[in-house]
Amino acid sequence: MPVPPRTASATVRAARIPIDWGSLVPLRLRSKIIAEGVYAGMHRSVRRGPGVEFGGHRPYVPGDDLRFIDRRSLLRHDRLMVREFETETDRALWLVVDATASMSYRGPDAPGAKVAYAAVCAAGLARVALASGDPVGLVWIGGDGVRALPAMGGREAFERVLGTLEGAGAAGDASGDDQAMDRALMPIARRARRGATVVLFSDLLDLPPGAMASFGALGSGGRTPVVVWVLDPAEAKLSFQGNVRLRALEGGAVVEADADAVRATYLERLRAVGDGWERELTARGGRFVACTSGDDPAGVVRQVVRSLGEARR
Amino acid sequence: MSVLSVAALLVALLVAAPVVAHLLRRRQAEERPFPAAALVPATPPQARKRSALEDRALFAVRALAVIGLALLGATPFVRCSRVALNRQGGASVALSVVLDDSLSMRAPLPAGQAGATSGPTRFQRARQGALELLDGTRSGDAVAVVMAGAPARVLVAATTNVATAREAIEAAEPSDRATDLDESVRLGRELLDALPQSDKRVVVFSDLADGSAEGTALAAEGNVATWVPLGELAGLAEDCAVTRADRAANKVLARVVCTGAGTPAPTDGAAAQGSGSAAPGARPGAPTRLLELRAGEEVLALARVSTAEHLSDVTLELRGEAPEGLVARLAPGDAIAADDVAPVVAAGGSLEIAVVGDAASSHVETGGPPPVEQALTALELDARIHPLPSVPEHAEDLGNFGALIIDDQPGLTPEVRRALAAWVDKGGVVLLALGPRAAAAQLGATFEPLVAGVVRWGKSPSPGIDPGTAAAALGAAAPSYADLSAKGRASLDAGASDAAEVLARWQDGAPFLLRRPMGRGSVLVLTLPFDTEQSDLALRPAFLAIVDRFVSTARARGGARRIDAGQSWTFDGFQRVRVRRLGGAGAAAEVPVLEADGRPRAAPALAGAYEIDLGDEKVTRVAAVPEREIDFRPRPVSPSAASEVFGGVAPSMDVSPWVAVGLLALLAVEMALRVARRARAGTAPVVERTS
Repeated sequence: MPVPPRTASATVRAARIPIDWGSLVPLRLRSKIIAEGVYAGMHRSVRRGPGVEFGGHRPYVPGDDLRFIDRRSLLRHDRLMVREFETETDRALWLVVDATASMSYRGPDAPGAKVAYAAVCAAGLARVALASGDPVGLVWIGGDGVRALPAMGGREAFERVLGTLEGAGAAGDASGDDQAMDRALMPIARRARRGATVVLFSDLLDLPPGAMASFGALGSGGRTPVVVWVLDPAEAKLSFQGNVRLRALEGGAVVEADADAVRATYLERLRAVGDGWERELTARGGRFVACTSGDDPAGVVRQVVRSLGEARR
Repeated sequence: MSVLSVAALLVALLVAAPVVAHLLRRRQAEERPFPAAALVPATPPQARKRSALEDRALFAVRALAVIGLALLGATPFVRCSRVALNRQGGASVALSVVLDDSLSMRAPLPAGQAGATSGPTRFQRARQGALELLDGTRSGDAVAVVMAGAPARVLVAATTNVATAREAIEAAEPSDRATDLDESVRLGRELLDALPQSDKRVVVFSDLADGSAEGTALAAEGNVATWVPLGELAGLAEDCAVTRADRAANKVLARVVCTGAGTPAPTDGAAAQGSGSAAPGARPGAPTRLLELRAGEEVLALARVSTAEHLSDVTLELRGEAPEGLVARLAPGDAIAADDVAPVVAAGGSLEIAVVGDAASSHVETGGPPPVEQALTALELDARIHPLPSVPEHAEDLGNFGALIIDDQPGLTPEVRRALAAWVDKGGVVLLALGPRAAAAQLGATFEPLVAGVVRWGKSPSPGIDPGTAAAALGAAAPSYADLSAKGRASLDAGASDAAEVLARWQDGAPFLLRRPMGRGSVLVLTLPFDTEQSDLALRPAFLAIVDRFVSTARARGGARRIDAGQSWTFDGFQRVRVRRLGGAGAAAEVPVLEADGRPRAAPALAGAYEIDLGDEKVTRVAAVPEREIDFRPRPVSPSAASEVFGGVAPSMDVSPWVAVGLLALLAVEMALRVARRARAGTAPVVERTS
């Protein structure tokens, strides 16, 4: 089958786009500041098992460890009960960063590109997780010069996450690549165990049609999917005026419209995108956080942590 | 202008290109990257429409730049022709601008002549040149302005306030005067005499047509240079003028003066309508023009006039009763339309001069009429001479004359004196020449009240007059009377000088020429007769000056109904006088009546009929086109006066550096506009960087 010739726009989208960090650098310092502003503390596992803190009783079922049969309950009530203890455990944090071409956009009111903002939030979240002893893994959607990192803990893990984020470049058009989402999430589905948290940083624009289902599927098996919807302030408000001719960075769409006339319709469609993702995630026990790159990253990270706490109750 | 310059100027048409491009441009928004473009609903495609100019300032700057480029491309083919001033070592200069406002300056310059772009007439070009000259002055320069229309007069005395001189020149208007270059240049020199500048120049803006084509060349005198920067003003032109039109009964005698250059002859059909007699000098086939006698739009009579002749007298005959307000008009028009029309006045328009003398004693060896009559004829003063054997005894007889010359008469009888005194009181002018016969008057025959006291004749202790005392009256000819070879002279009593103005004195101080006003008239007294046996009085050039002054005085007194434009009417004895040009409108029709030497005078600058309101009566007088002005042959100019050392217009100024500087300024303006525009656009969303 002959390969169709690549168009000029396709060539541009496939090319590496350096990240416009704007005022979001240095990433290390930013992430440290963000992490210091977020108190997470140690978190307890919902799993019951060997531990030091009593977690309650439950009826014995065959197969339970006989060491945990409550003998006093058997003698007093003539019923077989099992004592449960809550145990503290490490839960992996998987970061999924969208680095497709659309994430390279930076509007006039934004401190940096969307992907830069996502990287800052991801680094801050990684530092918080690592400070809590949770391992952190990193995968990418699209991007150039990026590499996936397995979940690992310790100081070295943070350095590796930072290095990967700083060396990344935006590239790729995921809108026509149905497998792009599956390729990115495959390592997580395979390696993330029950209790892991998967946080996706994306503008949710130009993702392939099955992206929502693929990501929502991660919510099974005790994992918590979280989506951080990163938009540029110009995207959030459609701040253009008058007659404008807009060209999408992925998908090749070109639209000529009167910005003032279509603003309401646009905002409605944008809100529908967010609502769709939020419904899907909520149904699967996940959480949805919307923000713009003009917001304070610490606030976004704090909101993610808070959402995770709510999801685990 | 060459083909190259035309081609370069055609580039200026490109100024329309931005307009066309701008108006035809489709209103299409600038494409901007936007990741969520897929969510933006497209509005219906807009129809192609013409857009208005959005940034008029920027467009204007660019249009000017295109025009500037075209001009730059055309240079040095396109040049500005200006009168430029060269300085000697950069020193300050004193300039006396002589601006010719005579009739000949009304002639248009030939089409396409350099400098003819801004003004079609010689006067406009001269005025423009004078203003350009003032543009070249700077602090420390002195400027005076003299008008060369006769009589020459000072418009602005020497001043360092150039703005004043500029305003005066800008307000100057052409007139129908004759040209008096000599006097105007002399005035210009006098104005500069006392100035400290070492570089003094009289700058003449004139066509040099003063009727002295064979005269001496204009040249520098003393330390004051003479400069004629605009040689282009001089040149021949075809022009005819109606200088007079007198009506006697049913005949009109018109005088047509032409420059001599011919114009095409009119068709025979037009000429056949004429009922007048052609000029005697008209030759078959010679270029002619039609002289029409009009009453409003109605042509009452016409005659053909040869333009090849310098002067033609034409008689037009009226049929039946003719209305008042007739005019004589030449058709078709020529270089100067203003002199093609003259009002018809009743006969007597010329000055009637009675001459009383002894033809036997007052004669010249070469024969002909007495010297005074020859002088009057030679001067062409439009005077009719009436030789009389004796002075009339009745005032009614004297009333037919405007002036009277009495040459060495043996006194006047009481009846004559009484009639003469009454006539002078009413405005008559007498020239009384006293000789040996006047001194031998019989008892009772005196010259009272014209001359007080007794007249005596005796040997003259001095050979001639003192030219210094006669400079004002006799002008440049006064030195010719320094030695009169007089056998004797008349002596007057001391009382004769009372209430009289001594215009010239003998070298021993005795009066030679007196002027004594009487009522509205005046008496000029000479202490020598015209007899060539007694002295050379009548043979010297100064005699013409005396006769000319006498005639001018008689005309000014109202003895003549016609004067040349620029000359003055004097109204002695009248308190309230108003002079208004008939046919004129508004303030321009009023001729100011000014006091000069205690006598009200009015000098009409334009030819035509004037109504003079003397309070108790109204009279009509005429200012005519000076005949000597209808001669466009320029007076010679010495090469030094046309030297480019003073400056000039031949090396015209190349404007390309100024155009280039203008283009640079436009570039700076455009950059400023673009910066300002960008600053304004900063409030709107800017194009985001995506790659």
